[in-house]
Amino acid sequence: MEYRFVYLGKTYRVIIESDEQSWLVTIADKEPSRVEVINSIPNCLSFIMGNKTINAYTIESGGKKYIFVNGESFAFEVDKGRASRTPGVAAAKGGENVVTSPMPGSLVKVLVSSGDNVEVGQTLAIVEAMKMENELKSPIKGVVKQVNFEEGNQIDALQPIVELTPIYPE
Amino acid sequence: MISKVLIANRGEIAVRIIRACKELGILTVAVYSTIDKPSLWVQLADESVCIGEPPPGQSYLNMDLIIETAKRVGAEAIHPGYGFLAENPDFAQKCEEASIIFVGPSSKALRLVGDKVAARQTMWKTGIPIIPGMLAVGKGIEDFQAITAQVGYPVLVKASLGGGGKGMRIVKNEKELGDAIAAGRREAKSAFGDESIYLEKYIEEPRHVEFQVLADKFGNIVHLFERECSIQRRYQKIIEETPSKALTDELRNRMGELAKRVIKAAEYTNAGTVEFLLDRDKDFFFLEVNARIQVEHPITELTVGVDLVRQQLLIASGEKLALRQEEISQRGHAIEARIYAEDPTHDFLPSPGKIHWLKEPQGPGVRVDSGIYSGCEVTPHYDPILSKLIVWGETRELARKRLIQALKGYVILGIRTTVGFLIDVIEHPKFVEGETYTNFISKNMGTWKPKDDALEQALVAVAIVSSQTPATAKVVTAQATSPWQELGKWEMGGHGV
Repeated sequence: MEYRFVYLGKTYRVIIESDEQSWLVTIADKEPSRVEVINSIPNCLSFIMGNKTINAYTIESGGKKYIFVNGESFAFEVDKGRASRTPGVAAAKGGENVVTSPMPGSLVKVLVSSGDNVEVGQTLAIVEAMKMENELKSPIKGVVKQVNFEEGNQIDALQPIVELTPIYPE
Repeated sequence: MISKVLIANRGEIAVRIIRACKELGILTVAVYSTIDKPSLWVQLADESVCIGEPPPGQSYLNMDLIIETAKRVGAEAIHPGYGFLAENPDFAQKCEEASIIFVGPSSKALRLVGDKVAARQTMWKTGIPIIPGMLAVGKGIEDFQAITAQVGYPVLVKASLGGGGKGMRIVKNEKELGDAIAAGRREAKSAFGDESIYLEKYIEEPRHVEFQVLADKFGNIVHLFERECSIQRRYQKIIEETPSKALTDELRNRMGELAKRVIKAAEYTNAGTVEFLLDRDKDFFFLEVNARIQVEHPITELTVGVDLVRQQLLIASGEKLALRQEEISQRGHAIEARIYAEDPTHDFLPSPGKIHWLKEPQGPGVRVDSGIYSGCEVTPHYDPILSKLIVWGETRELARKRLIQALKGYVILGIRTTVGFLIDVIEHPKFVEGETYTNFISKNMGTWKPKDDALEQALVAVAIVSSQTPATAKVVTAQATSPWQELGKWEMGGHGV
C-alpha cells in the first residue's frame, strides 16, 4: 500500500507491505526497512527497526495524524490527491493571491483596503496571538480585491484575510 | 497566618501557588476569564470566580474587579504570580488601601525598582556597580551624545519603564543615534505609555546571572545563590541553570552580598531577584530587580531545598525569616527548560490549539510544573508558556543528560511546542562546554528543523498506524492478542498501490 504524508509543505511517499511477522516500509526512494511491531495499544506504538527500539506516540484528530518520537513531534496530513501533484510542494490554499495567517489570533491592524496597490513584501495586516505580533506580507505585486475581516476580529489559521488581484509586469 | 488567598494569575504559576497554599492549609480562590473556565488551576482551587472576558484588560488586568472579588470572597491576600499585575505598583497600592495583603513588596519599593532610571540612581548612590551610562532620562540629543563620548559605542537605548526588550535599540555609531532615540521613544510610548528613555554602554556577549533574594519585614535578608539565564530568544529566557559555570565561589559570594545590598537600598521585602550582566572579564553590573516570583524559581528550590512560594506566603503573613545565610547552601545542579506553545520550524510563531494527548516525563530528579492536561485547549489570548521541565542532578553533566532524557519523554500531541528544539540546544557542544552567552540561540542554532532520522521514524509510525486503524474507527485495543488480527480493514490512503 502507498501513502503520501505531507509535513512542512513536503510530501513524503511511503510504501508499506506486510507478511505475518513484520512490515516492510519504504520511504521515498530509500532502501526498504524491515519493521517489527512489539506493542500496539491506543496512542502508543513500539517497534523495532534495524535493531533499534522506537516508541512512537500517536493520535489522529481533525484529519491530521500526530506522531511523537524521541522528543520530536510531527503533524502529518494525508495527501489524497493524485500523483500528478508535484512532490515536495504543498498545495497553497487559494494560491498566492490570497493572504492568510499562519496562526490563529486577533487581527490587530489592517493596513490596506480594497483598491490599494501593494508591492511584494508590503505589510497588509498584523495578527496577534500570545502577546506576539505577526505581520502578514503581500506575496505579490497587485491590487487589493477585498479585505474579509476588520480590526479586532478573531481569525483562524489559514482563513483568507486579504484577497489580491495580481499585476503582471508588461 | 493568612487563611485565604486569591490568585490573580493563570496557567502553570497559578497551579504552583495553589500547591504551596494547600501545603500551608491556606484556602485558595482562582479567578479566570470566560475562556479559561475548563483550566487546570480553576479545577484545583478551593473556590473559583469568573472575572470577565478573555482580553487581559477585561479580566486578569482588571485591578478594581480583582480587589473587589477578593473582598467579596473573604480573601485576605492576593498572590499576583508573574506577569499581569505582579509588578504593577498601582495595583500593590490599591491592595494596601483596601487592606488586602499583596504577596510581594510594598508599592513604594515596586515603584522604585520598576523605574530603571530611578533604580540606577539609587544603586549608584549606594555604590553598586551599574552599567556605565545615563543617570537621568535623556532629553535633547546632546544629552545622549555627551554620554556616548564618555562610554563609547556601541550603546543601548532603553525605555525607563517596562521590559521585555520593548523600546530597546542597539546603536553602533553616531549616525544611528538620532533615529534610535526617536524609534525608542515611539516604542516606549506605545508599550508603556511613557516615552522616557536613557542610554547605557552595550555589553557585548554578556552572561545573564541573577540572584534570588528573600527579605522579611524585619530587615532580615538572605540570598539563595544565582541562576544563569543566558539562553534567550527575543529577550525571553528559555533555559536556566544553577549554579553558573562562570562564577567562582569568591565571585558568587561577592555578587550575592551585593544583591542583598540592592534589596536593602530599595527597602524591598518578600521574594525578589537581582539581575546582573557579567562580561567576559568577569566584571558585573546591576541590571534590574525582578520584583516577583520568577518563572525559573524551581531551579533554586531544587538546589537549595527551600520552597520559595511558601516563603513568599510566610513573609506576606508577617513571619520572620527562619533561614540564615550561613545555613543556606547549594547542592548539585539544576536546569529548567520552558515548554512553549510555539513552532520552532516557523520562527517561533505561537501555536495555540487543542492538546489531544499529553504524557509528562518521570524519573529521579525530574519535576514538571504544568498548567495543561490531555484534552485542554491552549488559547491564543495569553503568554505561550505551557509548562516547565526542571531536573536536578549531582553534576551539571548528569542534570544535562537527565533533561535530554526527560524531554524525549515529554509527549505533547496536537500543537507545536519547543520540546525538540530544546533538546538540540542542550545537546549543542557549546552548551555542553557551558559557553552560554545571551546571543547563544542566534549564533548557534540557525534555522531549526527536526532531525531527519526522527522524521523517518515518524513516517514509519504514521504508515503503520494508518494501516492499522481504518477510517471506520476500528480501534486496536490493548486486549487484542495480535494487532494483525485487524488486518483486512486497511484504509487505502486515497489511492491504491
